Amino acid sequence: MKNVAILLDPTDNVATALQELKAGETVTVMLEDVTYTVVLRDDIPFGHKYALRDVPKGTELLKYGLPIGQALEDMRAGDWVHVHNCRSEHFGTRHEKYGIHA
Amino acid sequence: MEILGYLRPDGQIGIRNKVSIIFSTDCSRYVAQKLKMLFPEGTQIFGYPGGCGLVEGAFNKLVALGTHSSTAAALVVGLGCEGTDANQVAEAIAPTGRPVEAIKIQDAGGDLRAIEKGSRILVRMLQAASMAKRVPMSPGDLIVGTECGGSDATSGLASNPITGVAGDMLIDAGGTYMISELEELLGCSDILAKRAANDDVAGEVREAIADAEQRCFAGGRFAWGYGNIMGGLTSIEEKSYGALAKSGTKPLQGILRRYGLPKHKGFFLQVGETGSGWFHGDPEGVNQFAAHGAHLAMFTTGCGSTTGGLIPVIKVIANPTRMQLIRDNADFDATPIINGESTIQEMGAALYEEILAVAAGKLTKSEIYGHYEV
Repeated sequence: MKNVAILLDPTDNVATALQELKAGETVTVMLEDVTYTVVLRDDIPFGHKYALRDVPKGTELLKYGLPIGQALEDMRAGDWVHVHNCRSEHFGTRHEKYGIHA
Repeated sequence: MEILGYLRPDGQIGIRNKVSIIFSTDCSRYVAQKLKMLFPEGTQIFGYPGGCGLVEGAFNKLVALGTHSSTAAALVVGLGCEGTDANQVAEAIAPTGRPVEAIKIQDAGGDLRAIEKGSRILVRMLQAASMAKRVPMSPGDLIVGTECGGSDATSGLASNPITGVAGDMLIDAGGTYMISELEELLGCSDILAKRAANDDVAGEVREAIADAEQRCFAGGRFAWGYGNIMGGLTSIEEKSYGALAKSGTKPLQGILRRYGLPKHKGFFLQVGETGSGWFHGDPEGVNQFAAHGAHLAMFTTGCGSTTGGLIPVIKVIANPTRMQLIRDNADFDATPIINGESTIQEMGAALYEEILAVAAGKLTKSEIYGHYEV
């Protein structure tokens, strides 16, 4: 099966589109023993991210198993995740509670 | 795969066998280049493109490259009055047991006589180098560095992560792996500190990245722009993690600031010596790895790159459109990840096999094209 999106770490709550994806598409990503199937709620351009599960406001978004920023609002699985709903506070201050891998 | 290396008198094992022609100043570059043209086979050229003054970092770098595992012998060419004295460079290389000689253009009596004198020395050195002893080499003997350049969205998603996988495999085999480019690791301070082998290294990496962040804040300059956001990157951290993906997952053994071989095996961050005079640009980045003992380098690119250097460069590209355009310069095709047909683990393992093939003698594109970029 051809992957249309990529999950970079099993702990991530976002996946990244490997091609242009459309709202309403059902997309599955797999890594090790983790599988997520979600229906996209937005169009996701190549290289952009969507939420793999519901993410409450204030929660860290994880890619590579590492925090890329906080949710500015409640997100639903399948939402496009980008600068409009995710922001990082500052470099290097928020990693203590995460693993060491990247 | 059997790797037969070239044993040097100091015990190092090289994967290539070159006589190095070293110019100690910009003023002797002409003669060095003419010698390289006269004897293109089995030689490589590098030097210090500066002027009169002695720059310590530059001197150390010439010595580090002149004693690199791939250097069988070295001819140092100087003008005669510069601070980076050709004799002193040769004297610093000599203790490793490699044949080394210096010529000064002023003493030889001008370009033509220097070229004649240098030619006779090179003939001797090339013949001796051809008889270098071959010995079996294990992957654990290898030192490999990874750099990225001409990056795009595919770099962080595919190319960089697979170099991290290959780097981890190399370390598992007992080898040494390094990445560079601190400025691209903003926001990774805590992550790398947690990976540090001990508290000293943790402190050192925090300080190094804090310095880099401060430089960026002070100058208001970040490797961050509208194109990154359009490409899907949400924060500087996210971009940095894409670069950090080159690092794999192994403990950080230290930060390399002094040219020469790493003191032990494992994963390192490479910074290089300040004041060696020519720091920026991707080819120079490859040569910085060489100055820290790397046998070969991986180089990830999204938009495309032609980079070469004094060591073999395996150019990795994952962008399918760009791959079509830059195929002539690419060594490793990582597009199956972006095309959804392969995984990071699979392609990382294949890339590790490519490292071993290049170590065993397979020529990279940059070597075939004769890229050396000094």
